[in-house]
Amino acid sequence: MDTYFLMQLINGLSVGMIYALIAIGFTLIFGVLNVVNFAHGEMYTIGAFAGLVCINMIHAPLAIIIVAALVAGGLSGIGLERIAFKPFRRFQDEASLKSRAMREATLLSSLAVSIIIKEVIQHFFGAEMQTIPGQYMLNNPIQVGPLSLSSGQFLILGSSILMLGGLQYVLYHTRIGLSIRAISNNPLGAKYVGLSVDKTIISTFAVGSMLGGAAGIMVGLYYGAIFPTMGFTPSIKAFVAMVMGGLSSIPGAVICSLILGVCESLATNYLTQGWSDMVAYSFLIVTLIFFPQGIFGSRRERV
Amino acid sequence: MPILEVSDLQVTMGPQQILRGVNLKVEQNGIVAVMGSNGVGKTTLMRAISNIYQISGGDIIFERDSISNLGADKVVKMGVCQAPEGRQIFANMSVEENLVLGAYHQDKSHFNEDLEWVFELFPILKERLKQQAGAMSGGEQQMLCIGRALMGRPKLLLMDEPSLGLAPLVVKSIFDLVVKIRDAGTAILIVEQNAKAALCVADYGYIMEGGAIILEGPSEELAKDDRLTAAYMGGHAHA
Repeated sequence: MDTYFLMQLINGLSVGMIYALIAIGFTLIFGVLNVVNFAHGEMYTIGAFAGLVCINMIHAPLAIIIVAALVAGGLSGIGLERIAFKPFRRFQDEASLKSRAMREATLLSSLAVSIIIKEVIQHFFGAEMQTIPGQYMLNNPIQVGPLSLSSGQFLILGSSILMLGGLQYVLYHTRIGLSIRAISNNPLGAKYVGLSVDKTIISTFAVGSMLGGAAGIMVGLYYGAIFPTMGFTPSIKAFVAMVMGGLSSIPGAVICSLILGVCESLATNYLTQGWSDMVAYSFLIVTLIFFPQGIFGSRRERV
Repeated sequence: MPILEVSDLQVTMGPQQILRGVNLKVEQNGIVAVMGSNGVGKTTLMRAISNIYQISGGDIIFERDSISNLGADKVVKMGVCQAPEGRQIFANMSVEENLVLGAYHQDKSHFNEDLEWVFELFPILKERLKQQAGAMSGGEQQMLCIGRALMGRPKLLLMDEPSLGLAPLVVKSIFDLVVKIRDAGTAILIVEQNAKAALCVADYGYIMEGGAIILEGPSEELAKDDRLTAAYMGGHAHA
């Protein structure tokens, strides 16, 4: 195995981890509400801009910047839920919970919020790439044997693994995690045991959007690219990973994100950068044709 | 002083009025059965009491307080738990997690005590504790469903069609347990199509038709009424 290949592999894994952080947000929200949140990519953008504001205003250390992105992501997630999702949940009976009308309404309302957020950010910051002070960029070279890697790759891999661990802890060892899983499994049953569906939905949005926001600032500092529409491409990739993973399976979404990241990264050996985006879309088409349930979605009970 | 008093309860869904003024009472320590054929509004009644559905008129009084607009979570907190129609267990989660979710609003300190009580009633659940709930048989799922409701320390247990889809022997064992649960101090409101089984355990019964109560009385009297047997209970063919 040559060193170039190995480097691309590591690069692919860190890109994949970013997709995974975004895809988890999609997956959690889909699990609880059975709808796709089209404004999820904007949580990523908001995280990046919140971090940037911290850098420019208070020259905060990296850890604080990431925390700021997490908080900003979480808060915007809550706001997004109140504005784009809650108003369409007025009717609580079984028929409306399953109805497609509600799903289609929130598709459009979340898309609308997504456009508004993009425009607002553009209004205040401008459409061009933001300048990031050099000392904050995460591309200090790190030499590991023959491999030349960068600090950003380590940061992304390390903190993503940490966050995935944290998520796992929240889902399996806390009350709120228990209610998130219960509602994903059976929303009506959850009402009968007295779970507060509304609170759980809000916390799901908060958790998912926090991960998205953190992903945004890390990518921004690694690639040095923070701009209002930065959330679009990664969220499409994450969406593909979520579909490949079977829509509501978190391990599925993470594994497919990593596969996607690695394949894209290796494809740059053979294709130009622009064409490597084709990898994700081809995966999506192949998955939809041959595995309509997703690769990890066969055990899904819900229709 | 009844533990539950439903007066003139009305539920409307879109253009349709499902409940047209239902009145019923459950006494402290009583077992009350609501019977009627498919589609007369029995499940709607149960869901309205649990605040799953919004009511459009009337009132639901539980222990002196109106619970008709509290929200499903508060109702469970107050001690009204339901073993719903179709069981609605968490099929992808373990039996243990289902029971933990049943005790969601309860203090941790009496969790083990309550769990022992559920195991005493349904010993099979102890064996299946780590198993996925959806992988169990229908009867076991029904037991889990009742067990989950009991983990919420109900003062009033609502049971919606516990016999649905179960073998006659299993039905009998579940109804035996209903009496045992009542004897432990929980009032029970049970909704059934299988009127014969329900009347065996209930002290008082209501017959529903077209979204209203059309007849009520102590179980022995209702059971003897031949017209009702013919009209609502499918004759003597049912076990």
